[in-house]
Amino acid sequence: MGRAQRNPSIPAPSVRRAWRGIARPIAAGCWCLMCCILSPASAAVDGPGDYRDGYASADYRTRSLALSGRVGREADLLALTRDPPLGLPPLPVPADNPLTAEKIALGRKLFYDRRLSLNGTQSCAMCHIPEQGFTNNELTTAVGLEGRDVGRNAPTLYNVAYLRRLFHDGRERSLEHQAWQPMINPLEMANPSIGVVLERLRTWPDYAGRFESAFAGRPASMESVGQAIASYERTLLSADSPFDRWYFGGERDALSASARRGFTLFTGRAGCSGCHTIGERSALFTDQELHNTGVGYPSPNERGRTEPRRVLLAPGVYGELSAAALSSVSRPRRTADLGRYRITRDPADRWSFRTPSLRNVALTAPYMHDGRFLRLEEVVAFYDRGGVSNPLQDPRIRPLGLTARESRDLVAFLTSLTGAIETLVLDAFAAPIGDVGSERRPSSAE
Amino acid sequence: MFQRLSGWVSAAGVTSALVLGAVGSVSADETCVSPYSPKIVGQEDYVYVWTLGVEGMGDEQDKLVSIDANPDSPTYGKVLHSVSVGGRNEAHHSGYSDDRRYLWAGGLDTNKIFIFDVHTDPAKPSLFKVIDDFVAVSGGVVGPHSFYALPGRMMISALSNNADHGGRTALVEYSNEGDYVATHWMPTDDDLQGAEKTGQFADGYGYDVRFLPAKNLMVTSSFTGWSNYMMDFGKMLNDPEAMKRFGNTAAVWDLHARKPLKVFDVPGAPLEIRCAWGSNYCFTTTALTSKIWLIYEDKDQGWTAKEVGTIGDPSKVPLPVAFSISADDRFLWVNTFMDGSTRLFDVSDPFDAKLVDTFKIGSQVNMVSQSWDGERLYFTSSLLANWDKKGEDDQQFLKMYHWDGKQLSEGFTVDFYKEKLGRAHLITLNSRALYASKIAESSTPSGRVGALAAVSGTD
Repeated sequence: MGRAQRNPSIPAPSVRRAWRGIARPIAAGCWCLMCCILSPASAAVDGPGDYRDGYASADYRTRSLALSGRVGREADLLALTRDPPLGLPPLPVPADNPLTAEKIALGRKLFYDRRLSLNGTQSCAMCHIPEQGFTNNELTTAVGLEGRDVGRNAPTLYNVAYLRRLFHDGRERSLEHQAWQPMINPLEMANPSIGVVLERLRTWPDYAGRFESAFAGRPASMESVGQAIASYERTLLSADSPFDRWYFGGERDALSASARRGFTLFTGRAGCSGCHTIGERSALFTDQELHNTGVGYPSPNERGRTEPRRVLLAPGVYGELSAAALSSVSRPRRTADLGRYRITRDPADRWSFRTPSLRNVALTAPYMHDGRFLRLEEVVAFYDRGGVSNPLQDPRIRPLGLTARESRDLVAFLTSLTGAIETLVLDAFAAPIGDVGSERRPSSAE
Repeated sequence: MFQRLSGWVSAAGVTSALVLGAVGSVSADETCVSPYSPKIVGQEDYVYVWTLGVEGMGDEQDKLVSIDANPDSPTYGKVLHSVSVGGRNEAHHSGYSDDRRYLWAGGLDTNKIFIFDVHTDPAKPSLFKVIDDFVAVSGGVVGPHSFYALPGRMMISALSNNADHGGRTALVEYSNEGDYVATHWMPTDDDLQGAEKTGQFADGYGYDVRFLPAKNLMVTSSFTGWSNYMMDFGKMLNDPEAMKRFGNTAAVWDLHARKPLKVFDVPGAPLEIRCAWGSNYCFTTTALTSKIWLIYEDKDQGWTAKEVGTIGDPSKVPLPVAFSISADDRFLWVNTFMDGSTRLFDVSDPFDAKLVDTFKIGSQVNMVSQSWDGERLYFTSSLLANWDKKGEDDQQFLKMYHWDGKQLSEGFTVDFYKEKLGRAHLITLNSRALYASKIAESSTPSGRVGALAAVSGTD
């Protein structure tokens, strides 16, 4: 037989082989083939197992990984939160939702449960994919229930515990509340009501007693579901990056010379740290505010495209679709995302978006609220140009006049912000994925 | 539960592949029914269209629509019946069980499989069973696509997975009773499962599955994952990351062992596979790069894949979708979605596909199916719910055409929007004669009576 799993007499292969010959670096500048070869066999934790780097070239070669190798190792997530990794401040935990192992485990189960959507196809993890930086590297903007266009890039969940504003427009303030929004948003998981979700959770056998046990006898409720998911998300802490070891840990050789030059630019002439802040003892790389860089402002060449569009059809093969052909298969989309304005209705907030943390930014492409940039080099080039000029643009955004080497140095610095992730991703792989019918197969749902 | 028709098949004549060449200039494969299944070689009575529900239209649900296809009937060309299945599931393809008493139809989004009883009353199929735990039992396979019968089994090719909604996927095997049997993952670089990676790609993607029983061969192709096939087509074309996530491979497998043998580079999303009836080769067409490929056994290289034709102007992305091979293996009807046309290719020399003619069907066209005698072609319009054209170009229809060897002339049309049915997708044909007790006597079809034929095969 080929690589098969069978029912009932032939189980899934017990030996899960993973691709070891080639892996993407999990630390800055670590294109160390030997390190990857010698690391424990596992699926890729730092990018899609469906490797597509260089796809535009006729020389592209697949390096695909079998999903059967996507097996994990459960971690003590509660213990991880007690001593956040180097570079992160103490973990803020709401007084009314203290972390417990049971709540974290329950939240983890909810997070990967596809049944928590109207038609059983969408979980939190379908847009926040563990090995893709807890975002989705394969889409510029998220796709929701029945293929609906969410319109914005899925933000990473690494270190989301520290964020005081959630969503690109900052409309939520707590993870407990945020957790419900995708579940009842018609564009995302599209549940018709909170009550419907709770009713399901109260009847599925694989959830029997779980809420009561984690919440002092309380059944699944709007509050406890939010608290459980928030508890799991709060554990997704990643730091101890080469930057952290260099800046906070005093390891002089932890950063390359290029990354050190990039740091100087980042905190100096380029002015990045004005919004992506670095503290004395820790760094979140966000000021927790919203700014207008011009990224949401519709530039003239984005309005009413009439020229043919060049489209990649296969490695090294392009075609050209006329504007009419493209229009014939395109649902009308909003021409501009007004950002924070959608929440406040204050004209001054037009095209303002939350400052994202830059931790693990090398793992969380594509970039910006609409995923318009696929590579960090493009992001640096955007700021080098001074963003997109508009009347409400943050005055700190201005042309930088970077040399090519300076741009490379900035990218090297950004890449040095990749922290330790393997424990979290492998733990995620070990989590059960809830699917329709899992409730009838309790062993597969645990 | 599922009664076999093996007695019928053997009595009905197992030499159909040889007989077909004399039926007409363009014979038909009856939309490529499994070689293990009986065929209708006379007049079909019914056309079933697996139809996508549309929000705000009719009952909004996916449904199997049956249409009267017998010209002697007073309701010829009319909708006879429809069975709604609940929800919008991204209805896509369907396929008969080996005994042809049941039609399995899948939903690419919800992963539900709907099994219809089509023998008790062929005019009015009924929903017999729903499999709703396909993902859970298969180990995370998403998007059941092709349903192709093996003796006592149903082989289901899929498109995606529940880990990242990308394109890595598997074949999933069920018993005729609807019980899960096994999952066969597509070969990937780190786990080729003994297969030879003959080129640059081993992406692990899937789409279609077909068999060449005489060669103990199974052939698969590759498309894209849930995120792409569910999203708005225009949005995807504008998303450079998404455009990287297409399959570029076809693979051949040891059919008995379900073991992949070779993975071929076939760039640009090779979709449907159609195998010759009188020879042991198969064609596939690439949706994005607009090429016809031949998968054949070379005397030196063994099984291999070769580009043998071009469909339209590939630089303009005509998007070839479904195609159909004639039973005499001489012709292919190839639909191109973007221009709503069908192209007839002469593949008498399978290494050199020559365009014969092009015919406009509508503003968009996806599936094509032929009657066994090659005189009737059926076309439907829907590709995927979110890939179909928008506005006035979003015509949804079943169109029947007569083919005289030179011209297509329209027979009847069912406007699926006017009837408030939805988006018309996969076409299958059925006949009352398949289920008549004395059907075996009808070994030489004539007139407008359905009859059986089969290509012999053993698994």
